[in-house]
Amino acid sequence: MSTTQEEFWRWHEYHHIMPNIKPADKDIITAGVDVGSVGSKAAVMVNGQAYSWGITRTGSNSPESAKKALNFALKDTDVDIGNIKYIVGTGYGRVNVPMANKAITEIACHAKGANFIWGPSVRTVLDVGGQDIKAIKIDETGRVVSFLMNDKCAAGTGRGMEVFADLLQVPIEEIGAMSLKVEKEPEPVSCTCVAFAKTEAIGLLRKGWSKEKVLAAYTRAMAVRMANLINRVNLEPELVVTGGQSKNVGIVSRIETILGVKCLPTPNWREGGLDPMAAGAFGAALLAKALYEKEQKIGE
Amino acid sequence: MSKNGTVEQRYLPEISRKEMDELKNTVKIASQKIIADNIERMKRADPHRPEAMKYFDDIANLFGRRQQEIQAEKEKGKKVIGYMCLFAPTELILAADAIPVRVNSGWYDTSKLGDRVVPVEVCPVIRSTIGAKMIELSPFLEQSDALISVLTCDGMTKLSEILSDQQTIWGMNVPRIKDSTQSLRFWSDEIKHMKTQIESFTGNKITRKNLNEAITQSHRATKAFRRLQNLRRTNPVIMGRDAMLVNQAYTWDDTKRWTEKTELLCDELEKRAQQKDWVCSPDTPRVMITGTPMFWPDNWKLPTLVEEGNPQGIIVADEQCSGERILNDPIGVDEWSMDDMLNAISERYLMASTCPCFTSKNGNEDRINWLINKAKEWNVQGVVYYVVRGCMLYAMEYSRVKKALDKINVPVYYLDTEYTREDVGQLKTRVEAFMELLNARVDF
Repeated sequence: MSTTQEEFWRWHEYHHIMPNIKPADKDIITAGVDVGSVGSKAAVMVNGQAYSWGITRTGSNSPESAKKALNFALKDTDVDIGNIKYIVGTGYGRVNVPMANKAITEIACHAKGANFIWGPSVRTVLDVGGQDIKAIKIDETGRVVSFLMNDKCAAGTGRGMEVFADLLQVPIEEIGAMSLKVEKEPEPVSCTCVAFAKTEAIGLLRKGWSKEKVLAAYTRAMAVRMANLINRVNLEPELVVTGGQSKNVGIVSRIETILGVKCLPTPNWREGGLDPMAAGAFGAALLAKALYEKEQKIGE
Repeated sequence: MSKNGTVEQRYLPEISRKEMDELKNTVKIASQKIIADNIERMKRADPHRPEAMKYFDDIANLFGRRQQEIQAEKEKGKKVIGYMCLFAPTELILAADAIPVRVNSGWYDTSKLGDRVVPVEVCPVIRSTIGAKMIELSPFLEQSDALISVLTCDGMTKLSEILSDQQTIWGMNVPRIKDSTQSLRFWSDEIKHMKTQIESFTGNKITRKNLNEAITQSHRATKAFRRLQNLRRTNPVIMGRDAMLVNQAYTWDDTKRWTEKTELLCDELEKRAQQKDWVCSPDTPRVMITGTPMFWPDNWKLPTLVEEGNPQGIIVADEQCSGERILNDPIGVDEWSMDDMLNAISERYLMASTCPCFTSKNGNEDRINWLINKAKEWNVQGVVYYVVRGCMLYAMEYSRVKKALDKINVPVYYLDTEYTREDVGQLKTRVEAFMELLNARVDF
């Protein structure tokens, strides 16, 4: 294997600072750190407004990944880690966020984060993470009403997509658009289990299927699985998608077709839009603010 | 019986004595560690745990004191009659001066052995019991001279057939429709037949006097049992896991001694309640568990996650045949004649059961009523509906239970798992998210 081989699965790690916010001493600065199985996200908020965020790949060590993500979010900002009043850790590695004041599950954080990104009309959140998918029903304040989670398995998750990106040698960020370049939607692959789907895909490629068609068949199968989960939690509009796969237009548009509803549009992160991949971190930072204020009240 | 290997086994594979001993040793050592760990964590959850719990910690060692006691009794000529479902009329066993003991298996490791006999789709409680039999792990299953197998779910039905390779099995047919006179008549006949069977097997006649004594003893146990559950009704004075262990220990402990020790525990808890000495903050979300039975020791996964969670919850009630269903209902005897006592036993075991194997005109209404009443009276804030994969009847009743609980505005969370420790991380997220949801009614 050549060392220069392109890593097709590798997605953009980036950080963003909102212009026009100048944090001052009196401001309540909070942060949320979401250590997922694939990506680590951190968001910094000033008085409950998004100030900066950073998205990185999770390493083998959760505390390190958490630090890396938070430092990335703070990079080039006017905020120092010491200025942060309260930090909430969330995600798969939430108990291993060393600087966090409190850990909250990613389910509550994505609920709150979706409410923050899209506003109070959101009722159903589909969070497609690296290793699991969750369908969450929320109220107008972003509180969890009920939720469902798939089995612990990479089937139909971000990690599965990475495997496919490598297999088909298509950069992961192009997978969604590419999967839509088919004249007719093929039958979904029969099994979303990554290991089996991979074998099936290799078979289809040998049969002469184009990459586009194979991707369409796999993406379709994943979307069906997600739509089932949404239906089981009892879909109520507005529907939104969070997590890394919110950027996969192939997934989002297929979910819309299957369910017959439009999702609220995914803000464009390339233009500085609030990135739904960091929804959990945004939610965590907001809950951090609420917890900080509660603490202050008790202290008075 | 084929213990000597001369009779062909219809289901169970031939395992060499060497392999059997090795496996048994490994699982036993692992199991003792799990028992110790469970108890250690229960102690940690309540820094000044009731003194009376010491007894139950001891009896919780399945390979300890109780096994030795039963062995000593056996050597004196007593018979041990094991059972798998709560439908087995233990009063008849006690009246015949035999020892009743429940033998369902709670070992995760043995469920993997059971895979050699039945497919993985089969309920893990069943696979685990088969596996335990294969390596002769379960003290109480091995000590049983005969087993009462009540044909409730599909798993139990076939389990008895599989175990009959090595043990004497007495099947009991339970009617699936509860609210009909012919069902009760049929079941009464099964009970009467069981009485004859126990008598001839033990050589002890079940008389009016000794049956009266056995029922009276079981009444006392029910009284202590209910006293304990009532103490969980108000602000928490005992962790749910402690109460659950006490409840379940009844199924292998000596009835009389268990009753005394439970009363002692309740005395202590009453004092705590008077002193407002709560075991955790009264704001802690109050949780009820329903669904598949959770057999000691390995199935402490869910209760541990609830009570060690961040945020924490406390289990105040359950609707499980490994928990509060064990002794909840007394046997309603009026006249203490033999006929009346036998009828009362029949009625108690059939009519009071909320097992999902039943259906009727109104569906399994009794189970719904239990859940609603408990939820209201025990001030339950959320219900975890626990199902192991392959447990069809509980899985199928979920949507009905959910609707019923929705009506009284009590959130319910469906938690499916397996006989495995591998999913603990993911279950933790689920359980904690549910606790957050219950907390959020006050918080944020």
